Amino acid sequence: MRTTSNTIRTHRALTSLAALVAGALALSACGSSDKDKKDDGGNTTSAAPTSSVALPKLDGTTLEVAAVWTGQEQKNFKQVLAEFEKRTGAKVTFVPAQDPIINFLGSKIAGGQPPDIALLPQPGAIKQAVQKGWAKPLSADTVTEVQKNYSQGWQDIGKVGGKQYGVYYKAANKSLIWYNTKVFENAGAKEPKTWQELLTAAQAVYDSGVTPFSVGGADGWTLTDWFENVYLSQAGPEKYDQLAQHKIKWTDPSVKQALTTLAQVWGKKGYVAGGAAGALQTEFPASVTQTFTGGDQPKAAMVYEGDFVQVNIGETKAKVGTDAKVFPFPSVGSTAPVVSGGDAAVIFKDSNGAQALAKFLASPDAATIQAKLGGYLSPNKSVANSAYPNEVQRKIAQALIASGDDFRFDMSDQAPQAFGGTPGKGEWKDLQDFLQNPKDVAGTQAKLEKDAAAAYGSGS
Amino acid sequence: MSWLLEKVNGGLVRVFLIVVALFWLVPTIGLLASSLRSPEDMSANGWWHVFSKPSQLTFDSYRKLLENGDITHSLWNTVLITVPATILVVVIGALAGYAFAWMEFPGRDWWFLIVVSLLVVPVQVALIPIAELFGKVGLFGTILGVILFHVGFGLPFAVFLLRNFFAEIPRELLEAARLDGAGELRLFTRVVMPLGGPAIASLGIFQFLWVWNDMLVALVFTKSGTQPITVALQTQVRQFGNNVDVLAPGAFISMVIPLAVFFAFQRQFVTGVMAGAVK
Amino acid sequence: MASPTAAGVPGTPAASAPRKSVTGTRRTVAALFLLPALVLLGALVVYPIGYSLVRSFYNADGSGFAGFDNYKAIFTDDGIRTALKNNVIWVVFAPTVSTALGLIFAVLTERIRWGTAFKLVVFMPMAISMLAAGIIFRLVYDQDPDKGVANAVWVGVHDTFARSSAFPNAHPGRESPLKPEQGGFLTTAAVHTGRTVALPLVGVAPDQMPDGAKSAVAAKPDPGKITGTTWQDFTRGKGVGRLGAPDPSELGYDGMRIEAVKDGKVVASTKAAADGTFTLPATADGARLRLPASNFKQPYNGVDWLGPSLVTPAIIGSYVWMWAGFAMVLIAAGLAGVPRELLEAARVDGATEWQVFRKVTVPLLAPVLAVVTVTLMINVLKVFDLVYIIAPGSSQDDANVLALELYRKGFSEGQPGIASAIAVFLLLLVIPVMWFNVRRLRREERR
Repeated sequence: MRTTSNTIRTHRALTSLAALVAGALALSACGSSDKDKKDDGGNTTSAAPTSSVALPKLDGTTLEVAAVWTGQEQKNFKQVLAEFEKRTGAKVTFVPAQDPIINFLGSKIAGGQPPDIALLPQPGAIKQAVQKGWAKPLSADTVTEVQKNYSQGWQDIGKVGGKQYGVYYKAANKSLIWYNTKVFENAGAKEPKTWQELLTAAQAVYDSGVTPFSVGGADGWTLTDWFENVYLSQAGPEKYDQLAQHKIKWTDPSVKQALTTLAQVWGKKGYVAGGAAGALQTEFPASVTQTFTGGDQPKAAMVYEGDFVQVNIGETKAKVGTDAKVFPFPSVGSTAPVVSGGDAAVIFKDSNGAQALAKFLASPDAATIQAKLGGYLSPNKSVANSAYPNEVQRKIAQALIASGDDFRFDMSDQAPQAFGGTPGKGEWKDLQDFLQNPKDVAGTQAKLEKDAAAAYGSGS
Repeated sequence: MSWLLEKVNGGLVRVFLIVVALFWLVPTIGLLASSLRSPEDMSANGWWHVFSKPSQLTFDSYRKLLENGDITHSLWNTVLITVPATILVVVIGALAGYAFAWMEFPGRDWWFLIVVSLLVVPVQVALIPIAELFGKVGLFGTILGVILFHVGFGLPFAVFLLRNFFAEIPRELLEAARLDGAGELRLFTRVVMPLGGPAIASLGIFQFLWVWNDMLVALVFTKSGTQPITVALQTQVRQFGNNVDVLAPGAFISMVIPLAVFFAFQRQFVTGVMAGAVK
Repeated sequence: MASPTAAGVPGTPAASAPRKSVTGTRRTVAALFLLPALVLLGALVVYPIGYSLVRSFYNADGSGFAGFDNYKAIFTDDGIRTALKNNVIWVVFAPTVSTALGLIFAVLTERIRWGTAFKLVVFMPMAISMLAAGIIFRLVYDQDPDKGVANAVWVGVHDTFARSSAFPNAHPGRESPLKPEQGGFLTTAAVHTGRTVALPLVGVAPDQMPDGAKSAVAAKPDPGKITGTTWQDFTRGKGVGRLGAPDPSELGYDGMRIEAVKDGKVVASTKAAADGTFTLPATADGARLRLPASNFKQPYNGVDWLGPSLVTPAIIGSYVWMWAGFAMVLIAAGLAGVPRELLEAARVDGATEWQVFRKVTVPLLAPVLAVVTVTLMINVLKVFDLVYIIAPGSSQDDANVLALELYRKGFSEGQPGIASAIAVFLLLLVIPVMWFNVRRLRREERR
């Protein structure tokens, strides 16, 4: 009668990793970390020997951190918080939140009990929190830590009106294509570097009797992510930024070109598992599992999405790194795209403790703890690549850090929710219609522009 | 002849009911079977394959769910929320229902209809204003706050249902009791409540189930120490996963107690129904 | 009902109240009985309505007065129009079907020994949370016939009548002598007796080949006939291998149908052997060869339960599954209050069971039926969870209902003003239901 909303279908630019995968990967983690040891002497406040960040003594302080993370990911994050408790003497509680987190926070703020820090998944959410006067700026000390460890690009998306509010604690690399190794072997296909090579590989797979692509079209965000990669690589970062801010229209020729390119995959008969109608009924989790189940004959050979695809591969019998491999999204234009997402820690209740925790989360110390536990990517450039527990994760992290400031944040996450973040509406819906009818490039552009104009115009 | 017809009809009725029962059971069996398979098997094919391959059966999903998080503590919170919320709704709803059915005061019907129309208010609408209200009076984050919220939103149905059932009580019974010198309160506790047995039992069960299964209200109005089981289970859901291996066993764990309650009170439920029949 | 004055006496309750308080209660006592309920309702339910009402006249971030803009917005929004239409469908079908089933179940199980067990089965869904119920029905309606029960059954039935073909995805590879035509493939050149023809295709995985398929063999020329091979020109792990010629591990298209076509007419036809070879008589000389579409029919994939056209009925189905038990339990409780003697008297008078049901049971149950239907109608107006969980993103727009739109506007699009306007609008929608109730109450009182 009155219950629930679910997180299953919600879109977040985040990653998380199934217990299974994390468990399996953690086995190969390098050595034993003394940070994992439980320390029951809660008063050891002095910085541990490995510490690279100076933290104040906070005995008696209690802090609350809210994030939408669940399961294994939440457990891992709690270990990071435990380290903070050990170093400062503060007591930190994790508050499970629900997406859209900004509304969740709204209700907590209405009740007069906001968390000290919340991790926000969209840049738009940070902006909203600042506009409503909920978010508090980072202290000079914390900002210094951020500047030390983050590239300009990652600093900038945490800023509102020139002031630093967010610390990007966690990143997602959304420019990856995962493939079924066995199918590629059978078809004699190779990991492509360019769009043309991708089409060649797809044809080889198709000729071998397997559908090349699995598209989770029931979730509109997988489609916007596809588009963003093609667009970023083809039209370049400048146009990408302009389009993200709706400074150029969706009727721009560059959009037409990107959609036409996409249609080479989406519109080709037999290239998308289940055809357009089938893809529109396939949700993201199923789009992954159907690629990695069925032995030699999966429903599809490749599936595009971010590093979090590992979670879903963990729900199948396939092993990441052997049965399931990954290659970066091929370059459509001159360079390969790096589209990312991420969670930023934002302070909602200003205090020494909150600033210290934000500072800690900006430090490589915190990120390294979680990196070792698997299923996590840090945009922090001071985190050693060797901290990641396996080859796949290192490769993904490498690609993310190597892009420096050339990465771009997920466009639909920057757009107003009504356009870029609501099931059955705006960009999600328009691209679903495009998947249904990939010939109608001009019509799709017109619809996109109409919806974008309405959403950006209302200024929400 | 008509005896034969009756016989055939009876047979048809039975067949019909069995078919319906199957229809009703299949989805639940599907969920049960899913909860007993590994996520790997689930992603490979449909749950019915477990019948041809019983070796796939495993309690792993349950084990993992129960060893994670403090399920027992949150289960206790659920009980602390659900039981008072149910009792309060039944008692307050019955008082009001009785007043609407048998008392005389100006604008009675209109008051009643306003209460009924409140059934349509979706909980989502109330979250923010009530959070503000609770924040001001210090109820935010407390179990009492959650209970009150559930009582408020359970009352329109309770009043509506009980008023209509109480109105069916034969007037003579009430008048007889009145002549014996019973006061209003006595009339209510000794005549109306017992006679309304079946309706009160049904109301109690529904209210119990709704509160038991609520997650949205709990998520907003509780904090770490006061979370009920639905929220505890929710925190184990993986982002982007299909999560059948969390949700299916979770659904069964949280179903067990309501069903146990139903079974336990089945006798009262049935005798209540019988008592109604005797009069 | 038959009272001619029914329309004429709206009057105050006092004027028309035959069901007078048995006790002649003092008002203070009535107030005491009502007080707890009214206080809680006022603070927890009415207050948010007032809050919404005020909010609905302000703009998105609450900073400025917006007049009726939000209301204008809800009536010009396509999404809301679909939502309204769907809400009508919901309100018409879901409560009536649930109540009717509940009534039937309650009455039929009355005199059956395992009636309680049956009731328990139908009641069980009420004990399941909306989230779990949503998950259950996504499993049921899964489009993939290997995973969704509904389609598994449907496709099973369908396939016993119509089989699919063996080579659904076969297609010409590079430099192929074949080109697509009407769902099949046609050679670009004519064939002649005494020569061999190669009809290579790709796209059929070894595991999907017919069980009897053998390694493809190049056909030998036969003077008075046309011979040839049709096979999967793709070697696992290598690609095409030798293009246009059978490699050792390449399999023949066992059972592929081949037609010789001259001037649009089929002059001869045959089927390929296990090794892919085939022979056509001399009559086919000069014809072009066609692999007709029947070879390539896609397997039947069942019904898109959650596609745009069926999604609302499918979700209503799941609602009925949940709420028929609710109706049944309440009606059974009401049935318990029906005096047995009346039923027995009717039976003694020679009424059939059907007549007893229609003339005695249903009228006696009328108040309960009204409670159940009204509750369900109002409940359906705010149905949200099931739609939100079951409808896939791509058809969520087609399944839209007002409460879902309220949620989307308020919680994911940052438009609390419009969301509040929808909430107020929902309240207005209850007025017809209330009006119906007022009439019922009046009637009842006159009884």
